[in-house]
Amino acid sequence: MNGDGHPLLDIKNLVKDFGGLRAVNNVSLRIREGEIRGLIGPNGSGKTTMINLITGIYKIDHGTIYFSGDRIDGLQPNVIAGKGVMRTFQISRIFRDMTVLENMMVPALTQDQNMAEAKALAEELIEFGLLTRLKNEPAKNLSGGQNMLLQLVRGFMNKKLRLYLLDEPFAGVHQVIKGVILRTIKKMNEEKGITFIVVSHELTTIQYLCHQISVLHRGEIISQGTMEEVANDPQVIDAYLGG
Amino acid sequence: MLKGLGLILLLSIAVILPFFLKDYWVYSLTITLYYVVMAVAWNLLGGYTGQFSLSHHTFAVIGSYTSALLIIKTGIPLWMGMVSSWMFNVLISVLLGILCLRMRGIYLALTTWAFAEIVKTYIRMDFEFTGGDRGLKAPLFFKTMDPVPYYYLFLALAVITIIVIAVIMRSRIGYYLRAIRNDEVAAQAMGVNTVRWKVFAFMAASVIASVAGTFYGHFTGLISPVSGEFYEMALIIIFVVIGGMRSQSGPVVGAVSVRFLAEVLKKWPEVRMVILAALVILIMRFFNGGLMEFLRQGYQRVRQRKGAQPVSAYQETDKTNAMLEKK
Repeated sequence: MNGDGHPLLDIKNLVKDFGGLRAVNNVSLRIREGEIRGLIGPNGSGKTTMINLITGIYKIDHGTIYFSGDRIDGLQPNVIAGKGVMRTFQISRIFRDMTVLENMMVPALTQDQNMAEAKALAEELIEFGLLTRLKNEPAKNLSGGQNMLLQLVRGFMNKKLRLYLLDEPFAGVHQVIKGVILRTIKKMNEEKGITFIVVSHELTTIQYLCHQISVLHRGEIISQGTMEEVANDPQVIDAYLGG
Repeated sequence: MLKGLGLILLLSIAVILPFFLKDYWVYSLTITLYYVVMAVAWNLLGGYTGQFSLSHHTFAVIGSYTSALLIIKTGIPLWMGMVSSWMFNVLISVLLGILCLRMRGIYLALTTWAFAEIVKTYIRMDFEFTGGDRGLKAPLFFKTMDPVPYYYLFLALAVITIIVIAVIMRSRIGYYLRAIRNDEVAAQAMGVNTVRWKVFAFMAASVIASVAGTFYGHFTGLISPVSGEFYEMALIIIFVVIGGMRSQSGPVVGAVSVRFLAEVLKKWPEVRMVILAALVILIMRFFNGGLMEFLRQGYQRVRQRKGAQPVSAYQETDKTNAMLEKK
């Protein structure tokens, strides 16, 4: 909970349909400030749809989303980002023709930061993400893992960042880069108090990283708790084993 | 430093050029400078922002007709007619921008093309008001047909346009526009108000086109709906594509070289278009970065022949990987 007793993110009865298909069904979720929440579930269970709904990429059909006490459903994605909600994409969406440094500058320049300030912060974060030697390379020359690193550190350029939604940040990346991503999440959570929602299929990583885990199945939250709790939940076992 | 000196040299040549040329060539160069302005402005929208508008030439037409009609019908001074036409264009471009810039790709292209056709057809149909296909006599800006003052006017306009676009692209707006072209969804998720900045690019490009069109009308003294033909739009795109999209000098190089080639081939009108079309195909096939890319690659080859070693494509990646391994 934040200072005024509200959770940082409070989702109530969220529904999203795509034609005749219900992708998210009456989902309610509360995330405390400073938490790292894992969001797991089989393929097609609605994890990425949830991220798209929270960040305003998709419009919700029913329900409400409150961020830090303000209702954010129905707002444009850029307005939601301006309130301090950032995200990464499962298939990384970097600005390919822009250099690593220019990629980093974009979120900062949408706020009141001046060029010099933004550049200094970008260089600091690029170094933290071990991309210093590539900072003037066009982002299209980066490897898959470096793409993911760039996506991750780019979000921290938003000075108002309080909630960071990471969609499959470990998918297909080298073990070493995975280590850098884990280190970055932990450090930003502990030192800056940034709240994370991490979508991943890598259960051991999620167990290491997350305080709480929510399990989505067929668009519904079927279990919540620590990894031990959810792993022993018969509904979760059923969902993962195809029941 | 070297680039700056080169630019000063080029500009100096452009300034003294009319002293060595016949009126015909000065006239032709003035028209080329008009196209430079149009191409540089369209590059902001179609090149840097990735919004493939097909109504850019129409804003020049609206500019020239609005100014001429206001002056002829109401008797207001020339400058007032021109400024009023620019303000009218701001309004039209913002309205059209809001209407169609939530569209992407082919939908945007078709909508802007449809707008261009409506404007052109209206000018043809309402001939009692606009003069229709007979055209409309516009008062001359300098009260003379001598092309030299117009040459300097359009040279100044081209330089100002190039500087304005360069300043925009180096500012935070430039970052937004390039991010939008690369990935609109990601740009929005990073906090960029994509609709606002697309409308801005549309408005800026359209207003520059209208300013160029207004001066063009008061330079040629006769405006007609022919300027609203799709051929004009295609020409602007050809200048940008041949010169090099998303390059500051590309549209300038494209407009100057293609216009020069067209002049050289003027004696053989039947083969002129064939040669120009073949040139477009060749450049698209082998140098889709345009002439600027061709020049850049040529420069690199010369450097390599002089002994400069190519940099390993993996050098930077290898260093980073080594650092990562150490951690």
